Amino acid sequence: MIKDLDLAKYKHLFAAGAESSLRAQMNRRRGAAMVMGNLVRNDRTDISGVGARVYKNGVYGFSSQADLTEEAIRSVLTAATDNAIFMDKHIGKGKGNLPAQPEGNFTEDRLWRELPQKAYVDAIREIDAYIKEKYPKLMSRSVVATADCMEKLHIGSDGMSAYSVLPRAYIYVGMTAEDSEGSPIELMDIFGGRGMFDEYFNDPSTMFERLDRLYERLMQKKEGIYAEAGIKTCILGGILSGMLSHEAVGHTVEADLVLGGSVAAHNLGKEVASPLVSMTDFAHHAFGKEMPLPVYVDDEGVPAKDAPLIKDGILTGYMNNRETAERFGMEACGNARAYKFSDEPLIRMRNTAIHPGESKLADMIASVEDGYYLIDTNNGQADTTGEFMFGVTMGYEIKNGKLGRAIKDTTISGVAFEMLKTVDMVSDEMTWASSGFCGKKQPMPVGMGGPALRLKVMIGGR
Amino acid sequence: MKEQLIKTAENALLMLKDRGAELAQSVVSFSETREFNVDGGEFSLLRTLFDKSIVLRAIKEGKRGSTSANRFDEASLKAACDACMEAASSAETDPAWDLAPAINNGSFEMGCEVDLDLFFERLKELMADIKARYPKIIMEQLIASHEKTISVYRNSKGAAFEKENGEYGLSLMFSGHEGEKSSSFFGTGVTTTDLSRPLIELGSIAKDLADVEKQIETENIEGKFVGTLILTPAAAQDLVGTALSNFAGDTSLLEGTSIWKDKLGQSVASESLTIRIDPFDERIVGGQRFTGEGFPAEGYTMIEKGVLQSFMTSLYVANKTGLPRAKNSSSNMIIEAGDKSLDEIIAETEKGIIVARFSGGAPSVNGDFSGVAKNCFLVENGKIGPALSETMISGNLAEMLKNILAISSELVCDGMSVMPYMAFSGITISGK
Repeated sequence: MIKDLDLAKYKHLFAAGAESSLRAQMNRRRGAAMVMGNLVRNDRTDISGVGARVYKNGVYGFSSQADLTEEAIRSVLTAATDNAIFMDKHIGKGKGNLPAQPEGNFTEDRLWRELPQKAYVDAIREIDAYIKEKYPKLMSRSVVATADCMEKLHIGSDGMSAYSVLPRAYIYVGMTAEDSEGSPIELMDIFGGRGMFDEYFNDPSTMFERLDRLYERLMQKKEGIYAEAGIKTCILGGILSGMLSHEAVGHTVEADLVLGGSVAAHNLGKEVASPLVSMTDFAHHAFGKEMPLPVYVDDEGVPAKDAPLIKDGILTGYMNNRETAERFGMEACGNARAYKFSDEPLIRMRNTAIHPGESKLADMIASVEDGYYLIDTNNGQADTTGEFMFGVTMGYEIKNGKLGRAIKDTTISGVAFEMLKTVDMVSDEMTWASSGFCGKKQPMPVGMGGPALRLKVMIGGR
Repeated sequence: MKEQLIKTAENALLMLKDRGAELAQSVVSFSETREFNVDGGEFSLLRTLFDKSIVLRAIKEGKRGSTSANRFDEASLKAACDACMEAASSAETDPAWDLAPAINNGSFEMGCEVDLDLFFERLKELMADIKARYPKIIMEQLIASHEKTISVYRNSKGAAFEKENGEYGLSLMFSGHEGEKSSSFFGTGVTTTDLSRPLIELGSIAKDLADVEKQIETENIEGKFVGTLILTPAAAQDLVGTALSNFAGDTSLLEGTSIWKDKLGQSVASESLTIRIDPFDERIVGGQRFTGEGFPAEGYTMIEKGVLQSFMTSLYVANKTGLPRAKNSSSNMIIEAGDKSLDEIIAETEKGIIVARFSGGAPSVNGDFSGVAKNCFLVENGKIGPALSETMISGNLAEMLKNILAISSELVCDGMSVMPYMAFSGITISGK
């Protein structure tokens, strides 16, 4: 339906002397959740509409309507233009237009394919039944299936026109056990990735082995120890180095946050990490593979390419939209993304990762006399100063180069650009995650990843 | 517009019943939003949004399905109803699913219409006030909107509500800067219908800006100690709110992991603590008038003088657990003022910190938490000391509520909650 719209026929309504863009969009979401065998969520969401944005002399006007009719399209173009004129008249930055982007067209081959709700419910039912029967002593269990998809059609007064589809499908499994003190101990695993739900979950029994591993790790954690607090040599697994790339470094190098005063404002061209560290916000392909959540053209019509951020330890660039790229004298690489039809594009990450190195994970672990191997996280917060704190939900102590007992929930914290200078080994294998939503003004599906890193970090203990 | 929404809601109910739903509900709404943005200290964007929403729920043979869409035409409505019934047919039978009976139907008109010119003038004045009074502040982003919403609720048991509300919302994200030094970022906001006075006077905006300017220069504390944690109203709202949903919310009660599940009528907090969840309080803007399950909303006391009086349970979880249903599903928390001023609380503090933002993960189900104390100052020997960075706090939320040292006589109202400063003993505070 979105794909069939002819937005080009409204181009003559674009105001002269301004840059206009028009986007029709459908966001789909399918969800089912079981808590202790109770189906507490069972829903389907389809949200669509059209939005227009107009740039004039350094200010923007935007308007949207929850319709895809000709009347709605005309109306949002008029309102967005009026809003841009209002802002220009009252704010008067007088900046003129942005450099034109090359024209072209991009059309995604992949389409959203509708599945019956039963597919989602049956999958989690089977998984829940497996866990219930095999592990009856668990204090609680939850199984959540989600599938979402952003489908967008974009045209602008310049730049690429594009049709894109980004479907994702995941199952989250959580288990809770009681430790010897009667305290609940939790652990979660996430399955799935980009694509349709049945590409991953046609046969849930293929997940059983990983569910057994989840249970095994939970039992280890139940008997686990509290990490000793202090600055320790740690191996951060790929999930945590991905979180670090996204939360603690990525946000500070988004150009809008740089203008808002982030730590990166004063560090361009400076050493911010060990020479072993390079980091990029990848657009669609890297290391010979398509990225977990590829972006080919952004919502300003800019063809997407990789945005280099750190090269051999030196901060080399920011992530930009067209306006900030002009302001900083950098290249726009396709980071302007909007979540819903009613959202304007913001500077967002795509697939942000530290590059792999040459070390083997086993050698890295063997090299640590007294420290921790930190595998999984359930949350991370970071400041525009680069100060961060991540929850660690799974990890092991390392004693004399060998993995020891599991540790209970703890945290790691520090300042990103200081901690990254302590990196002295980088593994040759990447781990990617793509299930999350990054929260800024709008949510946004993002990919993040990384190799394992050996570094020194403050670990929180109990 | 309201009539069209009512027609749509009733039409959807009929369609669901025609498709075999034994119980059905529809919530239909229309909203109109005007929004100004400031980015990097400069006005950047004006948005005008027209949005619609329809949320359907159907229960057939105890099986429940739900759909959300944003199109009201006949074909779209039919598709949404089909999807809702298909979802229901995929579910398990669970007799706990139910909807409210018709109790006290009502129609409510609240809030204010938009005055775009006055709003814009007030926003320009706010930015000028900040520049003049707090020159070290960089406004990373200001989102300032007026949203007018009309919502209509109908269910097959006869519950019927309409609500029209218009309100202004401000969300400010900023940090303090001097040369290359900067504070942590900080966010504050209000919901209001009042444009009669400068916006900087609302909520805790002025105090927050002043404090963040003082947080550019920070010190680190060495080692760790057990001391007093004083939370600002916003930080108290965050942490106490987390405790309530953790111990008295649907998920932990349904999972059976709530540590308060057997504590109704028993003491769970210091005697000084009384919490109401009350969307009808006159200081709350645009509060809930009907719940998502079709009950008329009523204010309720959650904790009275430390004793647990109510859980935050939905009808489903109430049916599932045998616990009573909460009388509204809002998060409009109102904590009763204490008898000491903030200055007196600080004067009585031997050693601790005053914290405006907690940055940490979700506490575990037993209430253990740890995270970074952001935007905080050392308090020592009864006086506020330097701003701190890289300071961690850890403790247990359930224990914290039992260890309340003081609740301030000052209350901050941001339109969504009414909160005092709160001081707690026994918190582990650690530096580098």
